Amino acid sequence: MHGRPRTAPKPEDAAASAAKAQKLRALQSQFLSYHHDRIYTKEALDTSAKLLEINPEYYTAWNYRKLAVEHNVKESESSPESVKSIFDEELKVVENALRQNFKSYGAWHHRKWVLSKGHSSLDHELRLLDRFQKADPRNFHAWNYRRFVAALLGRSVEDELQYTEDLIGNNFSNYSAWHNRSMLLSEILKKKEQESYSQDTISKEYEFVLNALYTDPDDQSGWFYHHWLLDQTSKAKAPLLVSSWPVPGSELVVSGNVSLGDHPLSSFSKVTVALERFPVVLYFNQTVEGVNSSTVAIQCTFVQNEDVTWKPFSPQNSWASKVWVGYLDLSGVDHHSSAPHTVEVKLGHHKGIMSSNGLQLSVPFDLSFRVSVKPLETQSSKDEKLVWEEDKFYACEMPIPCLCYDGISVGNKYEPTTSDWQIGTIAEEISQIRNLLAISDSKIGKITLARLLMAHDVMSSPYATKTVHAEEVLGLYSELMKLDPSHSQYYKDERSLVLLQQLLSSGGTLLKHCFYYGGITSSSTHGPICLRLNNQSISRMGAFDKLLWVQMLDLSDNELHSIEVLRASNHWLSTLTRRMCDLATETILVLRLNRVKML
Amino acid sequence: MSPFDSLSLKVHKDAVAGWVLSFQAHPRSKSDLGNGQFYGFHGSRSSQFPSKDNAIFIQNGSHLASTYCALAILKIVGYNLSNIDSASMLTSMRSLQQSDGSFMPIHIGAERDLRFLYCAAAICFMLNNWNGMDREKAKEYILNCQSYDGGFGLTPGSESHGGAAYCAIASLRLMGFIGDDCLSNASALSSKANIQSLLDWSLQRQVADGGIQGRPNKASDTCYAFWIGATMGTLGANKFIDERGLRSFLLTCQSEYGGFGKFPKELPDLYHSYYGLAAFSILGEAGLKPLCLELGLTEGAATGL
Repeated sequence: MHGRPRTAPKPEDAAASAAKAQKLRALQSQFLSYHHDRIYTKEALDTSAKLLEINPEYYTAWNYRKLAVEHNVKESESSPESVKSIFDEELKVVENALRQNFKSYGAWHHRKWVLSKGHSSLDHELRLLDRFQKADPRNFHAWNYRRFVAALLGRSVEDELQYTEDLIGNNFSNYSAWHNRSMLLSEILKKKEQESYSQDTISKEYEFVLNALYTDPDDQSGWFYHHWLLDQTSKAKAPLLVSSWPVPGSELVVSGNVSLGDHPLSSFSKVTVALERFPVVLYFNQTVEGVNSSTVAIQCTFVQNEDVTWKPFSPQNSWASKVWVGYLDLSGVDHHSSAPHTVEVKLGHHKGIMSSNGLQLSVPFDLSFRVSVKPLETQSSKDEKLVWEEDKFYACEMPIPCLCYDGISVGNKYEPTTSDWQIGTIAEEISQIRNLLAISDSKIGKITLARLLMAHDVMSSPYATKTVHAEEVLGLYSELMKLDPSHSQYYKDERSLVLLQQLLSSGGTLLKHCFYYGGITSSSTHGPICLRLNNQSISRMGAFDKLLWVQMLDLSDNELHSIEVLRASNHWLSTLTRRMCDLATETILVLRLNRVKML
Repeated sequence: MSPFDSLSLKVHKDAVAGWVLSFQAHPRSKSDLGNGQFYGFHGSRSSQFPSKDNAIFIQNGSHLASTYCALAILKIVGYNLSNIDSASMLTSMRSLQQSDGSFMPIHIGAERDLRFLYCAAAICFMLNNWNGMDREKAKEYILNCQSYDGGFGLTPGSESHGGAAYCAIASLRLMGFIGDDCLSNASALSSKANIQSLLDWSLQRQVADGGIQGRPNKASDTCYAFWIGATMGTLGANKFIDERGLRSFLLTCQSEYGGFGKFPKELPDLYHSYYGLAAFSILGEAGLKPLCLELGLTEGAATGL
C-alpha cells in the first residue's frame, strides 16, 4: 500500500506470502468466472468482497458489484427492505475495503455510486466522515466525499462553515479545512447577494484568518487563505489602454523602400526590409478581445479604416491578448510629398473591447501622431555604426514624450472602479500585517505585505503611476533575500519588477535615466534618447507597456542571469524591434537593445 | 531505465516490446469501433481473460493508464509506434471523454479526474494524432481544476496537489496551450489560468529540509521533486528551485541498496526510484540524460532519436 513503511522480508514470511499469492490467484480466477458468466449469487458476491478486502484497487471487482446490484435490485423490485439491504451490504464492503486502504479511489467511487442511488441513510455518512477526519484530517478522498454528501443532504453552507471553523480552531494547520472553507465562501460570494453582505462576509473572514496568522505566523495555511481573500477584495478591474506606439503626439519620419510598381526591391534593400505597412501598437492593462476596425477607428488620408486588420500580439492565441497590433498599409501614400499625415486612433467610443471577465472598455481614448514618408536614399543605406562610448551620453533636458495615459482618455472621464471599502480593507490589512511582522519574522508574511502594498498602489491609480509604497516593497524583498536565501532568485526577480515600475512610472524619476546618445556616426540630430537602466541589479525585465516609446535601452551591468531569461524578456523588445525595422533605420523610431554585459 | 547512458542492465528490447504488445486489445471488426469500448492496452493478464463463447476473443479491459504506460515503454525501448493500429485506439478513446472534458479511464466505468486526462493527452502526443480527444474541452476541465491557492486539484473543487499540478500543466503543454513565454504576462494562458499563483504555490512546496512536499504541511517526498520540479520546469521557472537543497534531500532518500524510497531512510521502491532519478535529471546531474518533462521520459525516448 502506498505510504506504508517497508521492512526487509524474513524467509518464513516469504513462504507465507507465496501461499497467500496462490490463494489469491485461485480466488481471482473463480471471481472472473462468475463475472464472465454473470453470476450474482451470494456466494459469488462474497468472492468479490474477499478480493476487494485484499486489494481495494481491483476496479473490475467494483464494477462487477455494480452490475450485481443492478441485477439483484431488479429481482427484488417488490420489497423495499431487501433493496435497502442490498445497498447496505455494498456500504459494508466499501468500509472493509477502506480499512485496508483509506485512500482507495475505487472504494470511494463505489460508495458515491451507492449513495447516489438514493436508498441509503445519509446521517451515517457524516459519522463515518468524522471517524476518517480523526484518523487523517488531510485525506482528500474523504473531503471530496464530504462535499458530495453535504450536497446530497442539502446541508446549509453555514453549518459546513461552522464545521470547518471547529476543525481549524482545533488545528490551524489543517490545510484541507481551509480549502473547504474557501469552497464554501466562494458559494456564498457567488450568490451575489447585496454588496454590503459580501463585504461583511469578507471582512469577517479577514478577522478569522488573522487569529490563525497570529497563532502561527509561519504556517502556510492561513497565509494562502489570506491571499485568496485579497483576490476577492480586489475584484476584476475594467480594461483600459495603458500604452501605445507610436507615442501620442509624436512626429515620425518613415523612410524605406516602398514598393512602387516599377522599382524592384532588390535595388534598394540593404539594411531594411521593404516597407509596406506601418504598425500601430495598443497595450491594455489586461487581456482583452474584440479589438478590430469596428471598435478601433483609424482616421488618416492614406488608409481606409475597414482595411486595417488588428491582430493580437500573443503567439498562442488568435483572439485575446494584452497587446494588439494593427497595420497601416503605406502603399497609398504619395511618396513625392514629404508633408506629414496626421493619423488619429480612437477607441472606447463603441462597445466591443472586452476583458476575459466580461468587462467592457468603456472609457474613450483618442490618440494622434504624424507620419511623413520619404523613400530610402542610397547614402543612408550604409550600415550605421554604433560606437559605444560612455562619454557620449548627454543629459536629457527636454521633457520626455507622453508616458502617462490618464492624459489620453477623452476628457479624463475615468471613474475609479475601486470602492472605498476595497481600499479601506487593504489599508486595514496592511496595518495588521505590519503589526504582526513587528513581532515575528515570517517570510510568507513579508511576501504578503509586499503584495498588499503593491495592490494598494494599483488600486489608488489604475495606470500604476503612483508607486507610493515601492521603497517599502523593495526593502521587503531585500530582507527576504537574506531571510530565505534558497529562494533569493525569486525575490530578486520580483524586486526587479517593482523597481522597474518605480523607475518608469514617474516623469521625474524617468528623466534622470534618460540621455541623448551622440554615438551614432551618421546621426545629425541630438541622437536617439537612451533609457539607461544599467547597474540596477535587475534580474528580470517587465513593465514593457512603459517601454514602448524607448529608442535605445541600456541594461548593462545588471543581473539578467541567463540567455533564456534575456530571450524571453527580449522576445518583447526584439519582436518589436523586428516590427520597427520594417521601417528604415535612419529614423527616430529605432528601438535597439544595447549590449548587455552579464556578470 | 532510460536515463542511464550505458545500459549495464541487459534489457532485451524486442522481448519487452513483444510482451507489451501482447496486452493490446483489438476490435474484432470495424463495426466494433462504434460500440463505446476503448481499444487500448490492458494492464496485466488479470484483466485480460478469454470470452467463454469464443476462446480466442479476449474481453476488453483496456485502461488509459496502462495504455500510457505501454506506449511510454515502447518508446523507451525504441519501438516504432507507427506499427501500432493507432487509428482504432484513438477513435475509441473519444468515447472515454466526458461532457465536462474529463476522461474516464475504462469504458466499464470508474472515477474520472486529471490523471486520466493526462494519460489521454500523452497518448495522443506520443501517437502524434489528436483525433483521440477534444483538446478545447479538456483545457476547460483543467482550468476548472485550479484551486483558490493557485494549485490544481484532481477534480474541480479538490484540494491542490503536486501530482494534479503536473497532470494539469503537462497536459496543457502536450496539447499545445503552453508556449515558451509562459511566465510573461502577455502569454495567452495567463488570461485564463492564474500562472503567478500557481508559481507561488509550487515554490512554497520546497520546504526547510530542501525536499519537496505534495501539499502544504505534508512531509517532503522523493517523487514530488519530479511532480513539482517538472511543473515548474514546464513553466520555465526551474531557476527558482533551491537545487542544492533539493539535491541533498534526495540523497538522504537514496538507499544503501541503491534506488530511492519515499522518505529518508526508507527502503527503495521502483516508483520512487524512477521519479528520484528523473528529478536528478532535471537538476542536471552528470551522467543522466535530459528529460522531456511533459512526458516523463528522456528526450531521446520521447523523440525517438
